[in-house]
Amino acid sequence: MTIVTQSVAAPLAPIKSSEPVDPVYRQIRDLVYQVSGIYKAEDKLYLLADGCARRMKPLGACTPREYWDHLTAQPNREAELRNLLNEITTGETCLFRSQPQLDALRKVILPEIAAEKTKQITKRLRIWSAGCSTGEESYTLAMNLLEEGESLLKGWTVEIVATDLNDRSVETAKAGIYGDYALRSTSDYFKRKYFTPVDEKKFQVRPEVKKLVTFNRLNLQDNSKMLFMKGMDIIFCCNVLIYFDGDSKSKVIKHFFANLNFGGYFFLGTSESLMKLNDQFHLVHFPGTIGYWKPSLGSGKL
Amino acid sequence: MTATIAATIRERVQHIETMPAIPAVFMPLLKMLGSSTEEVRVDEVVRLVSYDNTIAAQCLRVASSPLYGLAESPRSIKAAVIGLGLRRVETILLTCCLGQAFPTKKWGLDPLVFWKHSLGCAMVCRKFSEKLGADDGEKAYMAGLLHDIGFMVNCQVFSNEFFRAVERARGQGIPLYEAEQSTMGFTHCETGGALAEKWKLADDVVDVIACHHAVEQSQTAPGLVSLVHLADLLCRVRGLGYGYYERQKVDLISDSAWAILLQQHQELEGMDLVRFTFELDEAVEEIPGLVAAVFGSASA
Repeated sequence: MTIVTQSVAAPLAPIKSSEPVDPVYRQIRDLVYQVSGIYKAEDKLYLLADGCARRMKPLGACTPREYWDHLTAQPNREAELRNLLNEITTGETCLFRSQPQLDALRKVILPEIAAEKTKQITKRLRIWSAGCSTGEESYTLAMNLLEEGESLLKGWTVEIVATDLNDRSVETAKAGIYGDYALRSTSDYFKRKYFTPVDEKKFQVRPEVKKLVTFNRLNLQDNSKMLFMKGMDIIFCCNVLIYFDGDSKSKVIKHFFANLNFGGYFFLGTSESLMKLNDQFHLVHFPGTIGYWKPSLGSGKL
Repeated sequence: MTATIAATIRERVQHIETMPAIPAVFMPLLKMLGSSTEEVRVDEVVRLVSYDNTIAAQCLRVASSPLYGLAESPRSIKAAVIGLGLRRVETILLTCCLGQAFPTKKWGLDPLVFWKHSLGCAMVCRKFSEKLGADDGEKAYMAGLLHDIGFMVNCQVFSNEFFRAVERARGQGIPLYEAEQSTMGFTHCETGGALAEKWKLADDVVDVIACHHAVEQSQTAPGLVSLVHLADLLCRVRGLGYGYYERQKVDLISDSAWAILLQQHQELEGMDLVRFTFELDEAVEEIPGLVAAVFGSASA
């Protein structure tokens, strides 16, 4: 949904993590949470402060208090909040962004789904990477599923449906070429196994990984198109809904719920919360990460 | 659990008394914590702490950690007691004492991992209890701190059997109490319960130790037991478990402990559990430092 610039994040860092933080940043943190569901923990407040600092400069705001006015009282406050959200989520997009999510996928969810589908003749797994941006998450999922290809998912048909609103992002995603910054969390094992060097600094995802993923343009707010995304086992939608207002968010989440198979899972970004927007999903904790579960038929938990 | 197993547990737990490392201040302290009267006991606490140099030093170290938010490091035990409040000092002391209560040679679990889990659970219990507007956060802290004391018993008196259970849990990624049950035929809840009774801990704390994996069996303090049960689960999914990956999903809101707690605290209904989890991560990040302050020298 967002074009995430892939330039190396310039660590302006005017505030160090060890210094006390202006209490206004806690107010801003709470506002950001209320509006977007993104939560910056106490030890990450300096990152929020950095983001604010980068926005304060062009606005000519000298103190956090003045910037607070820009976020709450000025006529352009909604646009400014969006700018701030962009600042604090920039640079979060990379391959292997959340190891706890991948662990939950491979160690808990896939064994569970495999066990549930054990009696089905055609074994099929469909994962939706919604708001896939430039494809980092989608390929990360594909590589991890390929790792299970000889064990848990032997004989399975695996499909990753990746969608984004932005045409350019989709095109970039299809190319599957990434630099050091996007690959900063990717282990040498995965780099060697699933990438081909393009030049000294760039690597391209190999065809066997690409084969698993289909990229398409999709507006998550297009209700009629959303109806045709049925039969998903798992949906990832990280740092996308933060830009939606409450009503649109609820609508999109309802679609996600409807499109998931019973027993399926929905994931947001690691510091993102669904808050109270949906009471159909069950909030579930996995080691180090939170997901949302659509109860299985017959689990008595619907 | 059969009668024979119960007898074996009781018999072996009796021998714990003969172990050398229980600090002399531990029992009187437990007794004080158990009593509900709030009369001023500052001098007595100061006297108890000063009795044991190691514990006095640890207590000061913990009291001056950022976790407890004193503006200045307390210069004396009395300053620490006055600055922090009696109840809190008592729980700090208990934490320190517990670190000395068991010799570290026969651990089937990494002791630092165990302490991180126990202290983490204590902190989460306190925060959870504050969130619910419950009046005794320190009680919740103590219950969290002591809930897994049965593991220490297992390490000491069932070391071979327990070691096998830990190996099984780690190998299969299953909860430790399940592995205990299938390997040994009983769990740390039974052995911990036996020790807690021997130590004459308060009834509600005994209940927590014995029932935190089976809240519906709780007779005395179902609310506190449920709180500890949920805090324990939260710790295990937020990096303060037993040092291995537990392959499980945890649905706290569908847990029977949640329902029990909800009956007592309506605040739970409107609670934003995700945000609470994120907030806990903040507290949890302080734990390794605290564990180092309390147990660093003992378990190095």
